[in-house]
Amino acid sequence: MSTAAIDTPADAAKKLGKGALYALLVLLAFLQIFPLIWVFDYSLQKSGDLFGPDILKLSFAPQWSNYSRAFFDGHIPRYFLNSVIVVSVSSVFSIVLSFCLAYAITRMQWKLKAVAVLCVTIGMVVPIHTTLLPNFIWFGYFKLIDTHLGLIIPYIAFTLSFNTLIYIGQIKTIPTSMEESAFIDGASWPRILAIIVAPMAAPATVTVGVMTFLNNWNEFIMANTYLATDDLRTLPFSIIKFQGQYSSDYAVQFACMFLVALPPLLLYFIFSKQIMAGAIAGAVKG
Amino acid sequence: MKKFVPFAAVMALAAAFSLAAQSAITLKMADNLPDRTTTWGAVVEKINAEFKAANPGVEIVTESYQDQPYQQKMKIYATAKQLPDVFKYWSFSTLLKPLVDGGFVLPLNMSDFSKYGYMPGSLESNVWGGKLYGIPVSADMWVVYYNKKLFKDAGIDKVPGTIEELKALAPKFKAKGIIPIVTDGKDAWPLSETFDQLAWRISGDSTLPQKALDRKIKFTEPVFVQAASELQNLTSDKTGLFQEDLMVSDYGASRNLFGQGKAAMYLMGSWELGLASDTNFSDEFRSNVEVFKFPLVKGGKGKIDDLFAWFGGNYVISASSKNKDLDVKYLQYYAQRFPALAWEAQACFPAQKVQPRANDTVLAKHLLQIAADAKATSGAACLDRSTAQFKDDNQNLMRDLCSGLVTPEDFCKKLDAAAEKAAKQQ
Amino acid sequence: MKGLFSNRLVIAALALPAIAIIVFAMIIPIGFSAYYSFTDWAGFGKYRMIGAENYVTILTQDPVFWRSLLNALILMLATVFLQNPVAFALAALLAHISERFSRSMRTIYFIPAALSLVVIAKLWVSIFNPTYGILNKVLGFIGLGELSTSWLSNPHTALGAVIWIIVWQGFGWALLFYYTGLMTVPDEIEEAARVDGAGWFATYTKIIIPYLFPVISAVIVIDVISSLKQMELIFLSTEGGPGQLTQFIAVYLYQKAFVAGQYGYGNALSVLFVVIAICLTIMVQRLLRQKGEE
Repeated sequence: MSTAAIDTPADAAKKLGKGALYALLVLLAFLQIFPLIWVFDYSLQKSGDLFGPDILKLSFAPQWSNYSRAFFDGHIPRYFLNSVIVVSVSSVFSIVLSFCLAYAITRMQWKLKAVAVLCVTIGMVVPIHTTLLPNFIWFGYFKLIDTHLGLIIPYIAFTLSFNTLIYIGQIKTIPTSMEESAFIDGASWPRILAIIVAPMAAPATVTVGVMTFLNNWNEFIMANTYLATDDLRTLPFSIIKFQGQYSSDYAVQFACMFLVALPPLLLYFIFSKQIMAGAIAGAVKG
Repeated sequence: MKKFVPFAAVMALAAAFSLAAQSAITLKMADNLPDRTTTWGAVVEKINAEFKAANPGVEIVTESYQDQPYQQKMKIYATAKQLPDVFKYWSFSTLLKPLVDGGFVLPLNMSDFSKYGYMPGSLESNVWGGKLYGIPVSADMWVVYYNKKLFKDAGIDKVPGTIEELKALAPKFKAKGIIPIVTDGKDAWPLSETFDQLAWRISGDSTLPQKALDRKIKFTEPVFVQAASELQNLTSDKTGLFQEDLMVSDYGASRNLFGQGKAAMYLMGSWELGLASDTNFSDEFRSNVEVFKFPLVKGGKGKIDDLFAWFGGNYVISASSKNKDLDVKYLQYYAQRFPALAWEAQACFPAQKVQPRANDTVLAKHLLQIAADAKATSGAACLDRSTAQFKDDNQNLMRDLCSGLVTPEDFCKKLDAAAEKAAKQQ
Repeated sequence: MKGLFSNRLVIAALALPAIAIIVFAMIIPIGFSAYYSFTDWAGFGKYRMIGAENYVTILTQDPVFWRSLLNALILMLATVFLQNPVAFALAALLAHISERFSRSMRTIYFIPAALSLVVIAKLWVSIFNPTYGILNKVLGFIGLGELSTSWLSNPHTALGAVIWIIVWQGFGWALLFYYTGLMTVPDEIEEAARVDGAGWFATYTKIIIPYLFPVISAVIVIDVISSLKQMELIFLSTEGGPGQLTQFIAVYLYQKAFVAGQYGYGNALSVLFVVIAICLTIMVQRLLRQKGEE
């Protein structure tokens, strides 16, 4: 009769509660990871199996050829490179520009602020499809159609507004004392923004960075409309390559989808430690 | 004099090079066949390779997307005046006519294509205002595919000849856990085709929908109300013929239900002749898939060899192409090679005469037979004979009708209102 | 000190680049769009100016337009009052357990948000399938078989099913926002509350949530706008059906502009959409600002 582990009924209840909580978390995790397992599972089957009665199919003949087809016929290396270029450039610019704009809106006094806020609000609500035809013609004047720059610019534009909103929310929680004392110490604007404010806004940068990267990584409609040359295309297009007129090779499409989903997830996992460390450090400073 | 000879030689060489460079032309193409490794996409790649070999200095660059994004992009290209040289399109008035009206399509000479064995009525479906605007590529017939083995297992020994017989089969298949019949309900157009087909079976007159569009008669005529009623009855849950989630079942989903042996029949067009050679499906399925003619309506005036058929896909040339002669040459080559290559690959049912081969699948042979038996053909269904807006209205109404959200009488009233609106816009 | 925060050059350098890009790539096309909304253009070819006819039709004769707004409102409520609280609670939980476990869990919870919407749509269409879908199978297994139905095509359940898909997919985002937000709460605040003897419920409702109010406000505004802008998930599952019951404005305007050849009408829908969304956003922001000041 050992009483070492459980001292009181309250402790027992606490342990049970903790266990139940962990069980809940794991159950939720299973529900959330299920789509990835599902995609991976069907990427190893034959195309028609997707419409069968099994929710998951365990086959002893995994069709790894789907992956080699996805990789080569789907032009994945080329498209991957293009995606990395377009998405990195547009994400970096979007993050930096939205941070600056958010700072100007939150901290600075200027007469045209309301106009800027209106622009940001408009930028949040404009539906992408509405801009396709006008932009095709408008960007065409500047010879931006069928170029990476012609995709980077709208990628920045469509993510600026939400990012600015998040940064505004974050900057509002930062007291102005740090900036004010830095001014008194004679620091220049770039120094204040980069070394003092930006680290304290790190949590928002996490959110903004992830959102922007992911939205642009999976973006398809604009990439489809503004690009024509195959060598310039981005990763989401690889899935299209396996759509026939009447029937599509679903299994290979799923292989492509899995490959497209991997980089963001891997990045998220690898960097979340550093990201969170930065976010916490930034919070501590404030 | 000494300096002149090398100089002349260099000039001559430069001239020769520039001439050679000039003959490097890029033919810009577009189609809705992104998969270039199988069936139709592969056939086009083959044709392109042969054409390039026969015409050195010609490069072919193709842009491909699926149907919807493809149509969208072509329209954008048209507006921005950047259409590709040769592109695949559809002959329907909802799609080709606006392009023709906008002056985007190059008229062709009928005589350039008369020797390629086009089926009667096929080239004519691309004629607007007396001019030919494209070459047809596929003949589309509305049929019912079926799985012979599933029929046998359910104890059914002959295919239904009438709609009533078809409905009577439902419980027999349900008892075996098989869906009696499937089709693509999500896209709604198969329901539209069936509506027109039913109207023909009932009245024996295939010109009625066009007459209604021309406002000579109304869609509220008894024949249309009966057709709507039959269609609603066929697709209702109570009759239990179609898959329960018909209205969200898209093209791929319904096709695969049939191919995986979960459904006994598949209401679709003749372009699916490739079912019998699709390696995604089991050998058993492939050796048991066959086809029968769309059933009659009891008491209707239609005949079994009234074939609901149209010529949907075609190839057109952009009016602003810089290499019009080359484009025409390409189309002629395509017309020459496509029937044989497409039939060999069982990629689609060409709009041109094909030579039956000894190793054609049973399905292919039967489809050829159905085409040969046809005593009358209909042309496109009414949803493709009017404006794009009418097509959208028509499809939405079909969805409402088959979801049981509207009565046949109301459906016909609304369809007629849509036709009235479209007629005013023409 | 005042002068520092009104330095014109600095303000311009900070604000102009972003505003310029928004104007270039979004406001100018909407301007074009507004122009086309006064025509009967089919998307190419000729057209006529028809004044405000499209707008009048939309506002007085188009029940689908109003239905779309209603659906967006329902989605908003579901997101703000169901999805967000659950995400917040989960974020709070994850902030207080071991770092390694938390990090793995967070990555896993984020997976649906990282997958393309095509995958999400295909998955749920398969789950909701009346004959083969796992949902009906599970219901039958636990004895609730009478509830089985064709979830996405049954007029009674379609909207709920679609809203579930959207809320489920956005869950990972809400979790991310709230987790990073919670990370910014200084430990001293929580310590002080504990020292004062406040239980976890009081700590959260009286101290932490008010502290995070700006973050929560931002998330709510994003939720409101996302609800209005929903397109892909609906397009890939029900396409607005059955009978336009699950229709959303972005899907509707796409269908009108690009499928039905009513480009002018589709653009009028877009313009109206932008105006309504802006008004709603301003209203919500004002409401939240008032609440924040209490």
